[in-house]
Amino acid sequence: MDALDVNKISVGYSNNLIIKDLSVAIPKHKITTIVGPNGCGKSTLIKTIVRVLQVQSGAVFLEGKAIHTLDTKEVAKRMAVLPQTAQAPSGLTVFELVSYGRFPHRKRMGRLTQKDYEYIYWALDVTGLNDLKDQPANALSGGQRQRVWIAMALSQGTDILVLDEPTTYLDLAHQLDILLLLQRLNKEEGRTIIMVLHDLNHASRFSDYMIAMRDGAVITEGTPNEVMTCDYLRKVFQINADLISCPHSTNPVCLSYQLCKNNSECKVI
Amino acid sequence: MTSKQWKTKSQLKKERQVKLSVAILLILISICFLISLNTGHIRLTPQETFMTLIGQGTEQQSLILFDFRLPRMVVAILVGVGLAVSGAVLQGVVRNPLAEPGIIGINAGAGLAVMLFISFFSSASAAPVFVMPIIAFIGAGGAAVLIYVLAYKRHEGISPIRLVLTGVAIAAGINALMIVLTLNLDPENYQFLATWLAGSIWGSNWKFVLALLPWLIILIPFVYVKASVLNVLNLGDETAIGLGAHMEKERRILLASAVGLAAACVSISGGIGFVGLIAPHLTRRLVGDKHEYIIPISAMVGALLLLAADTLGRWMMQPSEIPAGIIVAVIGSPYFLYLLAKTKD
Repeated sequence: MDALDVNKISVGYSNNLIIKDLSVAIPKHKITTIVGPNGCGKSTLIKTIVRVLQVQSGAVFLEGKAIHTLDTKEVAKRMAVLPQTAQAPSGLTVFELVSYGRFPHRKRMGRLTQKDYEYIYWALDVTGLNDLKDQPANALSGGQRQRVWIAMALSQGTDILVLDEPTTYLDLAHQLDILLLLQRLNKEEGRTIIMVLHDLNHASRFSDYMIAMRDGAVITEGTPNEVMTCDYLRKVFQINADLISCPHSTNPVCLSYQLCKNNSECKVI
Repeated sequence: MTSKQWKTKSQLKKERQVKLSVAILLILISICFLISLNTGHIRLTPQETFMTLIGQGTEQQSLILFDFRLPRMVVAILVGVGLAVSGAVLQGVVRNPLAEPGIIGINAGAGLAVMLFISFFSSASAAPVFVMPIIAFIGAGGAAVLIYVLAYKRHEGISPIRLVLTGVAIAAGINALMIVLTLNLDPENYQFLATWLAGSIWGSNWKFVLALLPWLIILIPFVYVKASVLNVLNLGDETAIGLGAHMEKERRILLASAVGLAAACVSISGGIGFVGLIAPHLTRRLVGDKHEYIIPISAMVGALLLLAADTLGRWMMQPSEIPAGIIVAVIGSPYFLYLLAKTKD
């Protein structure tokens, strides 16, 4: 079964639909990446999946059940979210912020249970934040802060992890750092990961499954080999890409590219 | 491992800070309480006060103490607690440290209602003592509901920034209307209104204590239980939804609680502002951003602030009194500016 099934959803504001009749399935235990040009509706799709935006029609199914009919807390026990613009209130330590990930599991009141602590420490551990746990969260660097948000989502203990541009604003090394972490979580623990990435080469290198969008519709979906072709890249991004095989993953990556003006040939090196 | 071993250094340190803050605040409130007992137009020596408290005073002394001074002090404490908690909840819900009960129209609404009442129906002094708080409460609640309805948008619900801006606009409108209406007031009523607006704790007998107490006893434990929800709301809409918070529902419930608390307080104390702004602020500096700590401690800070302000107001220009609301503003605003200047961003 798929982790998430997006079934004929239309999303947007009354007359101005950003997404129309879109259907897509997110495979379980895989890394799925949504790519597409600015304004193609990929963030809208993600926000609908994580129930920030409401559908006008259609539905998103979480393991067979329509997500808006489920209790939002129950959903939060199965799917964690890292929004694009997460901001920490001042005056919270890294530990406190990560501990908020336990929110859906906690009873109204009461202290953190032993199980809560186990999850929090595990999340701090895999994200390499153990030494920083007593620091104020907003004194950290961008890369560290992104790790804190990922740690918070991890301490939620969910099988599904949804991330909206987790590498934006990070430098090259920190971008790779985050993606390797996500890859490890997927390989070692079988977590389903869905994310939006702007960097096509990262998407190709780290994904099992890619979804390419344009103008609110899915242009193509499949393995990186199926999606990262000259044809599709021209259709989706209007670029002529020079593709080579990535030495680290053997998936195609884009060496360089030209804007499409005329139908100049694109080449695979 | 016991839970103590699980805790991090910063957690333990913060818990110590919280305990210390509670202890210091309790001591300060007690000292202030004792001073306040001895402050007033008719001075009682500490001995007389003590004797009266244990039932050995003269009739006049016990009248002053039990029927005038104590109820007023208790009202000051309760109002301080209520406004501070209301402010703490509001700041959490709208995610803006400048929020306070005034921005959801509490003070303006209550003021307008009181004003309409005294200018159209009767003179202030003739009205039965319980009518005024009820009128003020209705005005405060009405203004808050109006602001909520105007800020509400279908499909999107209530956004903090729209709520704040609508609140500012409505309050400005109401204040303008009040100035126009003031022109028609006779001098006696005008003076009553001016004192009311300045926040003299005028409802000072045990009946008002009884009227105020249920609100606090029900709503404060309720919002305290919701502390973890407030923590999560503070992370922003998308994160909060991802963590499984029922955004709209929780926001509405918490707003309603804050309105209930502040309206009940203002209807008895008059238009006191600033406590709801500064008490949670001070508290954050003491214990950080977790609402499990902010709510109880800002309650204590609020109680201390208002009790001290009321005591000062009774003492400074004897035999006349300065309304507590003015004292809070006079002391509070420079301190607030100092805080802002010191805050590194």
